[in-house]
Amino acid sequence: MSRFFRQAGDSDSDSSESEDELMPSEDEAPPKPTTTAKPAMSRFLRTAGSDSSDDSESDEESDSDSDAARGGDDAEEEESDEENKPQIRILSAVDKRLKEMEATGKVMENALKINDWMAISNEFDKLIRMIQRQHNLSEPVPVFYVRTLVNLELSINTTLQKEKEAKKKMNASNAKALTAMKQKIKKALKENETDVKKFTENPEAFEQDYLNLIARDSAPSAGIPTARPGAAGPNDQVDEFTTVGKGGKVVQFTSESIFKDLQAVQEARGKKNTDRAEQIRILEILVGVAATSYQRIRVLLALISSRFDYNSSVTSHMPTELWLSAQREVDQLVSIVASDPNYSIQEITEDYDEYIERSPATEKGIVRIHGSIISFIDRLDDEFTRSLQNIDPHGTEYVDRLKDEKVLYCTICRAQAFYDKTSQSEPLGRVVMRRLEHIYSKPDAVVQALEATVDISDVKPAMSLAQHTTTSALVHSLCVYLYKSGNSLLRTRAMLSHIYHHALQNDFHTARDMLLMSHLQESIHSADVATQILYNRTVVQLGLCAFRSGLIKEAQATLQDIFTTQRVKELLAQGVHQQRFQVMTPEQEKAEKHRQLPFHMHINTELLEAAFLVSSMLVEIPLLASIESEEQKRKAISKPFRRLLDFADRQVFTGPPESTRDHIMQASKALQDGEWEKCRDLIQSIKIWSLMPEASTVKDMLARRIQEQGLRTYLFTYAPHYSTLSLSLLSRTFSLPLRAVTSVVSKMIWNEELSASLDQSGGVVVFQRIELSRSQQLAQVIADKVAAMVDQNEKALDIKMGGTGGWGDRNDGGKNEKREQTQERRGRGERTRGTRGGARGRGARFSQGLGNQMPSHTGQRGQ
Amino acid sequence: MAEYDLSKTIIPYLDRHLAFPLLAHLREASLFPTEEVIAAQYALAKGTNMFDYASSLFEQIYPGEKAPSEFDEKRTNAVSTNERLQLEAQAVLDVIQNPDVAQALRQDKNQNLQYLKDNYNLTLEQITALYTFGQFQYSYGNYTGAADYLYHFRVLSTDNDLNNSAHWGKLASDILTGRWDVALEELNTLREAIDSRTSSSLLASASANANNLQEPALAQLHSRTWLVHWSLFVYFNHPEGRTLLLETFLSPSYLNTIQTSCPWVLRYLAAAAILSRKAAAGVASAAAATPLSSRVRHAIKEVVKVIQMEEYQYHDPVTSFLKELYIEFDFEAAQRELTLAEEVVGDDFFLSEFKDEFLDNARYLISEAYCRIHQKIDIANLSERLNLSPEEGEKWIVNLIRETRMGADAKIDLEKNVIEINRPPLPVYQNAVRTQALGVAIARSGQGVPAAGPKTDQPVQAVTVN
Repeated sequence: MSRFFRQAGDSDSDSSESEDELMPSEDEAPPKPTTTAKPAMSRFLRTAGSDSSDDSESDEESDSDSDAARGGDDAEEEESDEENKPQIRILSAVDKRLKEMEATGKVMENALKINDWMAISNEFDKLIRMIQRQHNLSEPVPVFYVRTLVNLELSINTTLQKEKEAKKKMNASNAKALTAMKQKIKKALKENETDVKKFTENPEAFEQDYLNLIARDSAPSAGIPTARPGAAGPNDQVDEFTTVGKGGKVVQFTSESIFKDLQAVQEARGKKNTDRAEQIRILEILVGVAATSYQRIRVLLALISSRFDYNSSVTSHMPTELWLSAQREVDQLVSIVASDPNYSIQEITEDYDEYIERSPATEKGIVRIHGSIISFIDRLDDEFTRSLQNIDPHGTEYVDRLKDEKVLYCTICRAQAFYDKTSQSEPLGRVVMRRLEHIYSKPDAVVQALEATVDISDVKPAMSLAQHTTTSALVHSLCVYLYKSGNSLLRTRAMLSHIYHHALQNDFHTARDMLLMSHLQESIHSADVATQILYNRTVVQLGLCAFRSGLIKEAQATLQDIFTTQRVKELLAQGVHQQRFQVMTPEQEKAEKHRQLPFHMHINTELLEAAFLVSSMLVEIPLLASIESEEQKRKAISKPFRRLLDFADRQVFTGPPESTRDHIMQASKALQDGEWEKCRDLIQSIKIWSLMPEASTVKDMLARRIQEQGLRTYLFTYAPHYSTLSLSLLSRTFSLPLRAVTSVVSKMIWNEELSASLDQSGGVVVFQRIELSRSQQLAQVIADKVAAMVDQNEKALDIKMGGTGGWGDRNDGGKNEKREQTQERRGRGERTRGTRGGARGRGARFSQGLGNQMPSHTGQRGQ
Repeated sequence: MAEYDLSKTIIPYLDRHLAFPLLAHLREASLFPTEEVIAAQYALAKGTNMFDYASSLFEQIYPGEKAPSEFDEKRTNAVSTNERLQLEAQAVLDVIQNPDVAQALRQDKNQNLQYLKDNYNLTLEQITALYTFGQFQYSYGNYTGAADYLYHFRVLSTDNDLNNSAHWGKLASDILTGRWDVALEELNTLREAIDSRTSSSLLASASANANNLQEPALAQLHSRTWLVHWSLFVYFNHPEGRTLLLETFLSPSYLNTIQTSCPWVLRYLAAAAILSRKAAAGVASAAAATPLSSRVRHAIKEVVKVIQMEEYQYHDPVTSFLKELYIEFDFEAAQRELTLAEEVVGDDFFLSEFKDEFLDNARYLISEAYCRIHQKIDIANLSERLNLSPEEGEKWIVNLIRETRMGADAKIDLEKNVIEINRPPLPVYQNAVRTQALGVAIARSGQGVPAAGPKTDQPVQAVTVN
């Protein structure tokens, strides 16, 4: 109390005066109700009449001892009375009810005097009804009621006593009413058992608490400009608040009454008419007055949750200011708990009394408090994501908001340090995962910036960038921690993030090995949607990585699956896909929206498409050139690319290229015609490459590939028209060194793609062309088909016979081993193949239409 | 050449005793300063019970100084332990070597145990003495004795872990005594044991770090890695070894092991593939007279694929040679790598004996690939490719033409000093002829399936078209 006064006095003398006036009026306790309640009643009436200006009452009374509060009671009593009397105002509905109750009380008292139990019974019924109404309005039960209950019980007991001794009995109806009354009182007492107990133990404190509550509740309507929630820290709030006590009556919060205030707020939480902003404000003040760690922890716990409650609707996000203060408070909470190991916040605790101040001394050891920091952090992070989802990504607001990631990251790191210190593995795993999610997809510079803020802060987690020097090492250590932790979901996500990070760092081989060895592609269908999205992102990033490293075939194969679905955006959670034939329910739509990634995490789909189409071009165009018959032409490696190419072919007139696709299509045509320079220029003029790190090296790499593939295409296309072709001419035409040309041609001859041979002395390629007759062609086709049929047949048999096991004994060596090989190697040996099967992110939906593609892939790979 | 030396990589996967031959080889090869090698040998020997050897090494390092006295102390200790253990083991051995007992022993180990217990009062602990004694003998270098005792122990014991350990011990003893046939047998049984995944801690006793907490899969990977390394001893010394090496290492599970945990073994895989070229070619022409699996026949193709895949992890001249030859078709680079590879092979502990054979086969591979691609080849040029002088080259080429199936197609034009290769293009009928084999396949699968079963057929092994 004294502290509070000091604060108030500092800020404003006026207010301190009114403060003084008020305090006693509250502190004045009625004489202890012993045998009769009369004096108490009248005191109460007076105080209530003058004090409860309008708003609701409290039902919560704390038992906190008010030793300090009793201090100046007597001295100030009169003053306050005088001051309060003139304050008669129009009564609000609530007050009216209160008055009514008091009137009833009076009638009862009178009836008691004349021993008229009938009247008492009637009045009591009325009172009960009124109290019931109070309940319905979610307003606290007034002290008055409790006191009446206690008094009535006493009177009834004494009356019954007297009855027994008395010679002259009451009349029948009166006696009946008395017994009925006894029952009712019993019931009522039971309902309000705790209050009554507290009241009888210490009426003064009880009343004072009650008044505190009333006063506080009424304060805002008494004219404080409703504070902008969360805008100011708790301290300003207190200052400001004390200045505006209106009508000589100011609310105060003291560390003594903190628990019941807290309880009041918590009771009101979630109820219909609760003003959330108001509650937050109250709690903010409470934080300011909280004296002990225990109080601070309790209030902070309540405050943070009510901040998160502020915005109940699912669609909108939490206001930034609110979020920021929540973040600060989480920080505060963590630092309190971290600095004092005697307090521990746990999700499961033994029941404890909410009203008692607890300390390590009273608890004999660690004070366990009900709550969960990790869920706050989760929530904080989620809210951050949600706000990013809702803010327009192209505005400055988004950028401003993004800057908050630093503090969030700091908070997460703090929590990690805390959990690390207290070695709580379960929340530590979650918090490490959160941290990982903030850095895995970011380029080095951003991670460095994030880590720099952590370095500055006082609390540092066990793993930091400074310690590991590179981001990869940091990510590695975070992931390794998660691998070791038992949680399989976290492990999966950590694994994917790790792979993503490797891919981002252009470490294709490691990333690919990890992806294949994790065998995630087999189980990802059963994972939750968020993990599937992460998986898709990882696979896509892996494809991009392969593209950047110049592994065109791998890039094409990796990106293939996701592009055949034509729902790239949806699969990467970067946009909602409009389905043509089915309408999404609002819930689905909402869930879908909820899943979207914030804009800064997006993988640019246009870039992705460019990479995919270019690699498809490099794979597909030579292939197209190499095949002759119509039959084979239908087998496409990259269907989306083939479709686009066919479409471009049909066009009568082609203008200069505009979009990325146009560029690539025209480049493909140029490549088909052997004009590799034009192709190169078209590809290099695609603007989207600038988004790719090391754009220039990628362009150079592409140019080289285009040269090689151009040479191949040229050879395939024009071989029938030459009988010999000089290597030096080829080398000049495609600006490739002679050795490279020889190498490419040799490779084609070796692989029997080109029926030719080299004449070393002449430096020429000699073509040996065989024209197939129609019947020969057909014979070949039928041979292929029969072989395919046999293959299918065998597969069917395998399924029927229950796996390959049965076959092993009967077959002689070769065949069986070959088959076993292909099966076993799918896991790791033949890695790219594994990847190909992999990218089916969205379970069944995704995998549709993949089945018929698989064989052709495998065949293609096998060469 | 020291940078291509694998000893340092391999030794961690070997038993202490197995490392001795490697170090001895290094000393001869003089890749590293002799003092360092001796120091390493000494450090190695210190941990064993071979005190005489250790002290002699010590004298070599510090000539003139007296060997630490702890050796003498340890020696007396070891001798007494030896006597004690021998007594214990002898008791068991006496019983087992009794012809009556030998006859009475059956397949079932539990029954045997019971029998021994009933009739000769032999307990499991006593049998374990065999193991202990075997192990002790191994530790001071009496490998033959160790092999014997461990064998007897394994016949009797039912303890899985110890049995495994005995397996490894026996294998090591056999390798060190140089009984390659026995070692090969041992290797195969051990491989079966590992592949059958019986025990979760296969490796536990074999490796010093008994990591029983490891997952079974990981333990299996570890033991396979070890097996791969140990088997190198056997495979490069046994006459049939190279083929068997290909057979084993190219099987999916071991290929995966190599790719995952020890890519450097690819050198030996590549070398073996090159070395067994003749075997592969011979088989192909002899129409699969010997039951060589397709794995071995297409070894080079397979190996090249793996090398390409693992290039980012491991490459040395041997693997690069194959890569340049079969992936890049850069004959000049291949030739360069071959020169390097020749040295590497010469210095390698396992491969050094096969240096000439390796070179020979590698040349064959080069000329084969070269001839397949080219129509007219300048003999001088080809000789250069093969690191041969023109005369030698000509002789070589003539031999080549005579030996291989190019005989019909290739002719030497001495006037122009070129070889002309006239390879008729593939007749298109060959493709269609493949269908012939279908009938055979269908008939065979018809036999395989019970009479009531549906008529099915089987894939046709693509007839290798020459």
